[in-house]
Amino acid sequence: MNSGMEPTPSRSESKRPQRPARVPRQPMPEQDPRRRVTNFEEVPRGYTPELAMLEASRCLECKKPKCVAGCPVDIAIPQFIGLIKEGKFEEAAVKLKEQTALPAVCGRVCPQESQCEAECVLARKGESVAIGRLERFVADYTLQSGKEEKAVRLPPTGKRAAVIGAGPAGITVAGDLARWGHEVVVFEALHLPGGVLMYGIPEFRLPKHIVQHEIEQLRRLGVKILTDHIIGKTQTVEDLLKTEGFDTVFVGSGAGLPMFLGIPGENAVGVYSANEYLTRVNLMKAYDFPRHATSPVRAAHVITVGGGNVAMDSARTAVRMGAKSTVVYRRAREQMPARAEEIHHAEEEGVDLQLLTNPVRIVVGPDNRVRGVECIRMELGPPDESGRQRPEPVEGSEFIIEADAIVVSIGNRPNPLIPRTSPDLKTTRWGTLEAEEESLQTTIPGVFAGGDVVSGAATVISAMGQGKQAARAMHRHMTGDDPPTPEAIAERLAPD
Amino acid sequence: MKEITLTIDGQPVSVASGASVLDAAKALGIEVPSICSHPDLPAYGACRMCVVEIESVRGFPTACTTPAADGMVVRTESETLRRLRENTLELMMSGHPNACLVCDYRAVCEKHKPTPSKAGTSTRCGLCGNRSECDLRELVLSSPGRNLGLPTIYSRKKVERDDPFIERDHNLCILCGLCWRICDKIHGQPAISIVRRGKEARIAASFDRSWVDSGCTFCGACVDICPTGTISDRFAKWHGHPENKILSTCMLCPEGCAFHEMTENNRVVATRMTGFKPENRLCALGRFAYPQLLQDRHRLDRPLLRESGELVPVSQEEAMEALAAALDGFRDGSFLLLGNDTELRETKHLYRSLAGDVLHGKALFMAAGSGAEDLPEELADAIESGAIRAVLSAGNFLPTGLREHLDFLAVIDAFPSTLSASADVVLPASILAETTGTFRDAAGDVKGVGPALPAPEQARPEWHWVRDLAQRLGAEDWCRFRYAPEVTRTIGDDPAPAPLRTRPRDSVKDSLPTRFRGHFLADRVPALRAFGLPSTPAEETGADKRGFPIRRKEEIAPNFHSFLVEAPEIARYARPGQFIMLMASETSERVPFTLTDWDPEAGTILFIIEETGRSSRELCALRAGDRIAHVSGPLGAPLDLSGAGTIALAGGCYGIGAIYPFAKALHRAGKRVFVVLEASSHFLMYFEDELREFCEEIFFTTRDGSMGRKGAVHDVLVELLQSGDKRPDAMAAIGCTLMMQMATEATRPWSDVPLHVALNPIMIDGTGMCGACRVSVGGQTNFACVDGPFFNGHEVDWAELASRRGAFVQVEVEAMPQNGTLAAHPCRH
Repeated sequence: MNSGMEPTPSRSESKRPQRPARVPRQPMPEQDPRRRVTNFEEVPRGYTPELAMLEASRCLECKKPKCVAGCPVDIAIPQFIGLIKEGKFEEAAVKLKEQTALPAVCGRVCPQESQCEAECVLARKGESVAIGRLERFVADYTLQSGKEEKAVRLPPTGKRAAVIGAGPAGITVAGDLARWGHEVVVFEALHLPGGVLMYGIPEFRLPKHIVQHEIEQLRRLGVKILTDHIIGKTQTVEDLLKTEGFDTVFVGSGAGLPMFLGIPGENAVGVYSANEYLTRVNLMKAYDFPRHATSPVRAAHVITVGGGNVAMDSARTAVRMGAKSTVVYRRAREQMPARAEEIHHAEEEGVDLQLLTNPVRIVVGPDNRVRGVECIRMELGPPDESGRQRPEPVEGSEFIIEADAIVVSIGNRPNPLIPRTSPDLKTTRWGTLEAEEESLQTTIPGVFAGGDVVSGAATVISAMGQGKQAARAMHRHMTGDDPPTPEAIAERLAPD
Repeated sequence: MKEITLTIDGQPVSVASGASVLDAAKALGIEVPSICSHPDLPAYGACRMCVVEIESVRGFPTACTTPAADGMVVRTESETLRRLRENTLELMMSGHPNACLVCDYRAVCEKHKPTPSKAGTSTRCGLCGNRSECDLRELVLSSPGRNLGLPTIYSRKKVERDDPFIERDHNLCILCGLCWRICDKIHGQPAISIVRRGKEARIAASFDRSWVDSGCTFCGACVDICPTGTISDRFAKWHGHPENKILSTCMLCPEGCAFHEMTENNRVVATRMTGFKPENRLCALGRFAYPQLLQDRHRLDRPLLRESGELVPVSQEEAMEALAAALDGFRDGSFLLLGNDTELRETKHLYRSLAGDVLHGKALFMAAGSGAEDLPEELADAIESGAIRAVLSAGNFLPTGLREHLDFLAVIDAFPSTLSASADVVLPASILAETTGTFRDAAGDVKGVGPALPAPEQARPEWHWVRDLAQRLGAEDWCRFRYAPEVTRTIGDDPAPAPLRTRPRDSVKDSLPTRFRGHFLADRVPALRAFGLPSTPAEETGADKRGFPIRRKEEIAPNFHSFLVEAPEIARYARPGQFIMLMASETSERVPFTLTDWDPEAGTILFIIEETGRSSRELCALRAGDRIAHVSGPLGAPLDLSGAGTIALAGGCYGIGAIYPFAKALHRAGKRVFVVLEASSHFLMYFEDELREFCEEIFFTTRDGSMGRKGAVHDVLVELLQSGDKRPDAMAAIGCTLMMQMATEATRPWSDVPLHVALNPIMIDGTGMCGACRVSVGGQTNFACVDGPFFNGHEVDWAELASRRGAFVQVEVEAMPQNGTLAAHPCRH
């Protein structure tokens, strides 16, 4: 395999600048904001091969790469970028797939600026290598080339693993375990696999066909995905171990229980959780109503409460559904948990950010329909336990914003279906599953958990990171051994 | 003409010879009830409601068929007449579902649910799209006795939905004959008539052909005149009574027929004939196509400008500046305007002036129904040769192959096309009812159009765009055209549009224009395909082999369908009170339905679906052997009532099936089970035998008393609570929100006996993920899908639940399938 040493010269070598670091970080072409507010097509268009190779040429291919340390799933970053430099895009894809089941997804939705790219040595002097964009390029390249990827899978071990939830964590576990030769069955409660990638993240940020393509790769690895199957309501977690013949179980049921504000008027018609608002549009495709039957939210002015990525997704979806869109967030811009890129995109598309503003009451008409929201201005006080400055209300600053839809996007708690039906699974006071830090084993031996059901509402990539962690522990649980390294797999599968 | 004088109810009145007694009474302002009479039709004497007493005439003649005679003394009111009419009405209503009219809870129910449910079959007013326009209902509600004692005979005829635009529910028909009589009057030779005799009699086209094949022209007169909802307009029916009507002119062809635009919330929901005379006739397009054209989801609604290869939305100003700047370079005769021939005169006039006076180019107005391939050859040649280099196309009028020869293309249109996608500038146009001005028909007559209704977003009347454009091109005095009449005045003698070969009003076969502004009409109004109108071929979606096979399916009562479906996992784990989420196809909603029964051995589940909207209709259109795309469950917390010794189970509508698993489990566990069922009328009751097997006693209540006790489940629940030996120590009620709410209110004095109700809010995923199903119970917010569906009724905030259930009522009307034969409800089975 590629050693990550000096790149072999390629045909285009001579055309490239001699001093790679001088090449500026390459921007990704984007759909014009004025146009994209009218459609659900993806906003960034991705690198061309030329742009990708130019950007890859910036990578110094450090001997001790810090970027890998920043990656929750330990992708061999310098190696795959090195292959891009050489124009070996398909090989680069194989390299990526060694560590991530979802490169096209991660390349789009990971917060690289706070992970791999934050650690890049170039970041100290200027701009880091655009690792996420390169990852996306490679994944899309193989997707568009239409070539069937070779399923890299060790011979069957005879062990069986059940995975509950086909979201990012579950998909990662399934991919790793299948590659290591285990039989894997994924149980998904909804009618399509993908979890938050399908119902939460909008089409314009993560096209659904890309998610389904990556899941198709899992099926090619031999993973069986059973949709419409609600563990907890059918078999319990214990049943899977005791009567269904699984050797281990992974619970990745996610954080699908929306939190609300707890302010008066919240059950009025026109107040939606971000989950509902986004699920209608994404999973149920209400943007294509009435061909798709699920009713879209028809509103003139949508107010989204919250400052995270999901809030940005909701606000930008509202724009595309033809509404005026306002975000109300109680802290300042610097404290917004959303990625800078998402906030930037939202503002470009005309989303109005009302910062340091907190809703105190939903204004409701006599028909129990939303008329607006009463807000109070906030100012930042001393830091709280999260280290962020605590927002405090400015007395007498209440005002009303008229609106006919409110989307509450202040986070999720773990979905209660599994914990409620498995009393032996202990939960924390936040409703998350208790799991050992290293192995992610729950309070039931043989049952592991990861993703938002353990960490609360976090990111796709951290769920995938936990998935990798749990998969290793599950492999050890089933076989007593450490899982094979990518190199070992390659060696074992190499033709004699 | 000879005058006749007679006396009615003691008042003298003079009428022309030939007038009927009914006419004479009307002249006096005396209201004689009647259903089958119509001012535009000769007397028929079918309904016999207008019976009167006439001195020295034996019996009770009908006022409508009795000619007034000199010296006649007529009485329209007497005890005998009142009784006679009541009996007549009773007989008539025994053939028409009437439970809502005699229901004691009608007022509260209609307040609770202000819009009727979009049922498959109208088995009562609350499930009838014609409720707000029903003459029969009006007559019954205004009759003093309103004593409908005769049992309702419901013949369970299938609703006929195979024809485009028009649905027919013969169960509502009272054979008044208005439809075929008006058809006869308007068309000379009626397409429809009453076929068969006695109980089998119904309105049909001869030889029971489909109406498309019957010679029917789809003028819609029968729909408009039908007093009962038997014949209905598929698109308009669930919109309720239109609040407004506007007299305007149809602009879909050069005939320019006058019609009424019926509007609701400033949107056209239907267009109708202005009267019931042959000259008022409309064609199928004029009568049925307008609403869907105007409310097309793909309307162009903002100006677009090509910038670095892409069309991006820009402000009106930007678009106009760019357009003017570009056209300024084509004043050398290289400009061509392609317009729509059946447009407002004002629009055509300004287009003509723009093309000629301002830009020194050509203008061509494309005849009604023509498309891009009808572009005259010499113009195509001129484009290919470079003589014409810039085109402004007010519709889809240019073959896309010619685009590459042009230096500049602008499109003003209402719908997107491959042409508009290749344009440099696209302007959104207001069309049809969204415009106001004048229209010259093929005969040369000038007619009024408008006043205009709101257009989508930034769409504007075409002449507004042209006026602003011309000003930028130097025609500064065009600023005087502020309102349409200011343009109208300057028009003079404009040419009439080219006539059509055939008249659309005469037939739906081969005489309807196939296009509007160069777009296939059937692309926008899919039902038109039934007339053979062409459309752009749609992408085929492959049939999905996955899914859950339906073993057996039957309609066990009108609108109530029982499904036996293979779902082994659910069958293995289901418990009483749980529900499933269904999706008929990949484009359906996820909708919850309560489980009725399950068989772990056979791996099957049984559930009952009431057809009351798009999703349930999609499901009910499936047949045995078909597959339901998705069935997931069992969901919700099961309800364990085994702690109680005596249990009362109350079920209404779909809830009758839902209480079954409780009865079965509890009865088998040796508990005392009392079953209380409620239906509007006897013919809506089902599952009696199945339930009787698993209870000590079964009680029936109906709204019309047709099964003995008239009333609701709560009447029986209260009796049981008051009884010594049958007093339940737990109760469950499953049915519509109002039924459960009324049961709650009635049993409040016994709140020590828990009343478990199954709440039915809107759900999407059913697994706790979306929170759409929030309900307030005991002051706390609960998610009905995971915390419920059962809650103690005495703690439920019923008003909040009712309002939340109605959150999408308006949108749900739009979701109703318009494509009679093509959507998923082949109902002739």
